[in-house]
Amino acid sequence: MSYSVRPDALEKLTGQVLYGVDVERPGMWWGALVPSPAAAGRLVAIDASAVADEEAVVVTAADLPRLLPNGSGDPERPIFPSTAVRYRGEPVAAVAAPTLERARAAAARVRVRLDAEAPVEDLDRLFPDWPSPETMRDHPLVNGHVLARFGPVDRAFRTADELFQETYRTSGVHQVPLEPHACVADATGSVWHVTTSTQTPFGCREDTASLLGIPESSLVVEGSWVGGAFGSKGSALLEPYALVLSRASGRPVRLALSYAEEFQLGRTTLPSVLRLETALRNGRVVGRRARLLLDTGASLPGGDFTLGYAAGFLLGPYGAPALEIEGYAIRTHKPPFGPHRAPFIPQVAFAIESHLTHLAAHLGEDPIRLRRATVWTEGQTTTLGQRVGPFGLDRCLERAAEVVRAWRVDLPAGHGVGTGAGFWSTGAGAGGEARVVLTPTAVEVEQSEREIGSGSVLRGVAAVVERVLGLPPSHVVVRYQDTASGPFDSGVFGSRTVAALGQAAEKASRRLLTVLQERAGLRSTPRLAVADGRIVLEAPGTSAPVETLFTDSERRAGRLVVDGRHYGRAEGGIDPSRAVVGEFHPFTDFTAAAHVAEVEVDRELGAVRVVRYHAIHDVGTLIDRRTATAQVEGGVAMGLGEALTEEMLWRDDGRLENPGLLDYRLMTITDVPPIEVEFVEGFRGAGPFGAKGLGEIPIVPVPATIAAAIHDALGRPLFELPMTPERIARALAERTVDRPPVGRGAPA
Amino acid sequence: MTSGARVSLVVNGRRREVADVPFGERLLDTLRWRLSLKGTKEGCRAGNCGACTVLVDGRPMLSCLLLTHEANGASVTTIEGVEALSVGRAVVRAFEAEGGLQCGYCTPGFVMALVGHLASPGADRSPAAVRAALEGNLCRCTGYASIVRAAQRAAKEVA
Repeated sequence: MSYSVRPDALEKLTGQVLYGVDVERPGMWWGALVPSPAAAGRLVAIDASAVADEEAVVVTAADLPRLLPNGSGDPERPIFPSTAVRYRGEPVAAVAAPTLERARAAAARVRVRLDAEAPVEDLDRLFPDWPSPETMRDHPLVNGHVLARFGPVDRAFRTADELFQETYRTSGVHQVPLEPHACVADATGSVWHVTTSTQTPFGCREDTASLLGIPESSLVVEGSWVGGAFGSKGSALLEPYALVLSRASGRPVRLALSYAEEFQLGRTTLPSVLRLETALRNGRVVGRRARLLLDTGASLPGGDFTLGYAAGFLLGPYGAPALEIEGYAIRTHKPPFGPHRAPFIPQVAFAIESHLTHLAAHLGEDPIRLRRATVWTEGQTTTLGQRVGPFGLDRCLERAAEVVRAWRVDLPAGHGVGTGAGFWSTGAGAGGEARVVLTPTAVEVEQSEREIGSGSVLRGVAAVVERVLGLPPSHVVVRYQDTASGPFDSGVFGSRTVAALGQAAEKASRRLLTVLQERAGLRSTPRLAVADGRIVLEAPGTSAPVETLFTDSERRAGRLVVDGRHYGRAEGGIDPSRAVVGEFHPFTDFTAAAHVAEVEVDRELGAVRVVRYHAIHDVGTLIDRRTATAQVEGGVAMGLGEALTEEMLWRDDGRLENPGLLDYRLMTITDVPPIEVEFVEGFRGAGPFGAKGLGEIPIVPVPATIAAAIHDALGRPLFELPMTPERIARALAERTVDRPPVGRGAPA
Repeated sequence: MTSGARVSLVVNGRRREVADVPFGERLLDTLRWRLSLKGTKEGCRAGNCGACTVLVDGRPMLSCLLLTHEANGASVTTIEGVEALSVGRAVVRAFEAEGGLQCGYCTPGFVMALVGHLASPGADRSPAAVRAALEGNLCRCTGYASIVRAAQRAAKEVA
C-alpha cells in the first residue's frame, strides 16, 4: 500500500467508489417530494385523489402519527407543514413508487391548495431606509439581535470631524456540491437505517431522530462517499422524508434531489446589507461601527448560529479605540440559512476589507500599511474582548506587500493589483473519538467520518498518526465505520477534522506508544517502523516486531486497539461587558490569510479576468503540504465565484430564477488563474502539533481581494457582490468617484 | 407505459443487448441503472457540468444529453473501461501522481474528456488546448489547479 498524494485516488479515478446517488437496495422504491407552489400562505388542502398510480404511496403531515412511533415528530420543526408554508418549494408531501418516473408523475398529480400571501423576500424592500432601533424592537420579522460595544463609541462619533460611511450588499450563494443530496432509507425493521451522503453521520442521526421523535439508538446512519459538501450536507435534509416513505411503503426508498431541487431546497448563505462607519478626527481613526441586516430565510427565531458568530468578524481583525457592532437576523420566505464554507464570512470580509481599502485611498495611505497599523497580534483583544492567540496575519500582510511590489513592476494598463485579508477559527470544539489499531503488518485508524473530498479524513488524520508514530507517509490507513459500530465524532465541518478528530487519533497514537513502551520495558518513547512489510518497534538498542508485545488475546485477534478522545472545552473568553445583547461565540484559535490578485478589467464590457493569484496562509503547523495546498487552491477558486459570478436570484414571489448551472455560473477551468500558495508557520493553533484548520479560511479573503484589485484598476469602489459586468459598468457610469454618498452607499 | 425497444451497444469492449429501452431514455440512465455502471456520474442532467462524460465511438459525449437509442450500435467507453486504453492508463496515472481530484465526483468526467481529447488523431497537446478540452467540465473542490497539472502531465506522457 502506497500512494502519491491521496489514498482514494485510484478508486475514484476508475469509477469504483459509491456516492449517495449510487446506492441501491434490493426491492428499493423511489421517492419524490411535493413542493409548495407558493412562498407564503395558509395550507388549505393537499389532495392526492388525482394520483392515478395505485401502487404509489403519498405521505403528508396527516399521515405522520400513523407512521411514527411517538406522534408527529418535533412540533417545533415539522417535516411537513400542516398550517402555513414558509418558502417556495418547501416539501408539503412526499411520494414513493416503484420507479423514479412513476414517483415524479405521482408527485406532479398531488394538488396543493393554498391561500397564498405576499411573501417577504427582499431586505431593501422591507427596509428602504436603514431601520431605527425603535423599528426593530418589536418587528415581527426580526429573528435575532446582537449588539456589542467597546470604548467611548458615542463620544468618538459625536466628536468626529469626518464620518466615512459605506453600505455594502451581498447575495445568496449556493454550495453546489457536484453530487446532489441523496440517500436510501430502510424503516421496515425495528432499527431504522439510512445510507446517505453526509459530512456528519452522527449529526445526521441526531437531527433525523429529533425531527422524527425517535430515539437515536433506533436509527443507524451509514455515510456513503460524499461528492462534495461545503457545509450543505451536515444536518438532516432528505433522510426524514425517505424514512417515512420507507415506513409507509414497507420498502427501502431512495430519495435524491435534482439539481433544480438542490438549488431550491438547499440551506445556504442568504443576502445581507452591511453598513460600515469609521469616525475620523484629524485624519485618525477614533471609532468604528458595523451594522448588519442578514436574511436568515425561514430559520426558527433564535435558531440561527450565524448572526452571533458573524458578529465577531464584522470589524475584521483590526482594533480601534471605540467599536460597536450590531446585527439583526431577518426572517424571509426563503429556505432557512445554512452552513456554507465559512458561512457568510467571505461576504463580511468583503465589506470590512473593502472599507479599509477605500479608507486608505481616501486618506492617501498604503492599504496594507493601514491594515498593519491596527491588525491584531497575540495578546491583544478581539472586538468581543477575547484574548488573541498566536496569529500570523501581520506576517501574511508583510509578505503580501512584497508580492504587490513585485507585481506592480511593469503592470499593464487596465490591470490592477489588490490585497484582501481574512481570519477564521478552527472548529476544534465539540468532540471526537478514534481507535488506532495495530496489526503485525499495518496501522489503521477506525473512525466514523466519510471523506468528503478535502483529504482531511483519509490523508490529514493519517498524516497526524504517521507523525506521532514515526512512520513514513502512506503507511496509515483510515477506515470508516457507521454510527452503529464506529466511535463518536461530531462531523467534518468547521475546519475541524485534522484539528479535532486528528487530536483524538493523536492521543490514541501516543497511548499506543506508551503501551508498547511499558510492555517492552523501555525508558524512552519508542517509534514504529516498517521492515519487510511488518511493523516493528524501534528504540535505542531495540528493534522487534510489534506482535511480540501483543497479549495472548491480542495475538488471537491479530490486533492491539487503543482509543483516543478529544473533547474541546467550550472556552469563555468573551468579555461580558462588551456583549450587550445576544449570544456570541468565542474563537478556538486564530487562522489568518492575506491574498493578492492581479485583474484585468475591460472598461467597456465591465468584464474581469483574474490574471494571477497569490495566497499566503498562517496554518500554525503544516501537517501535509500537498493536501493543504489543494485546500487553498480549491477555496480560492470557490471564492472567485462568490466574487464575480455566483448569485441566487429570487423573484418577489419567492421563486428562484436561476436554479441551474447555466444561470448560476461557477468558475471553469479557463476562468481560474494560476494560484501561488504560500504557508506561514510558527503561530500555533488548536490542532495536533499546533496545526490550524484550513478547510474554510481559503475562501474568506477572496471577494475582498478581487474587489481591491478592481478598485486599483478602475479607481472606483464596488459595494455589491458578486461584481458582475453589469455592476462594474454601473460603477463606471457613476459620477461619484471613490466615495459613495452618505446613506445608501451602493448605487441605486 | 412508455414504449421501448432493444438497443445494442458495445460497452467497454463487451457487447450488451438491452431490452425494452424507452425511446426517451438517456444513455446516462441506461449505463447507471440498467447496466449498473455507476462510475459515470449524474450531475446537472442538462449538459452544463460534464460529470456524465463518456466516449461514444471514441469521442467524448455528455451521456445525459444523448438518448440511448441514438447510441444504438455504438461503442461506449465508460470510466470502468478506461484502463483498457493506453491513453486511459496514462491519464489515470497522471491524475494519481498529481492528486488531480478531491471528492472525485467530477473525476470520471474529466478523465473521459481528457482521454477523448488526447486519443483523437492529431490532438493538440499544448497546455491551452488541453485546458480548452476540459472547459465543459466543472469541478467544485480543486480549483482546477491539480487537474491542470495532471492533464499537462498526461499530455506529455502520451506524446
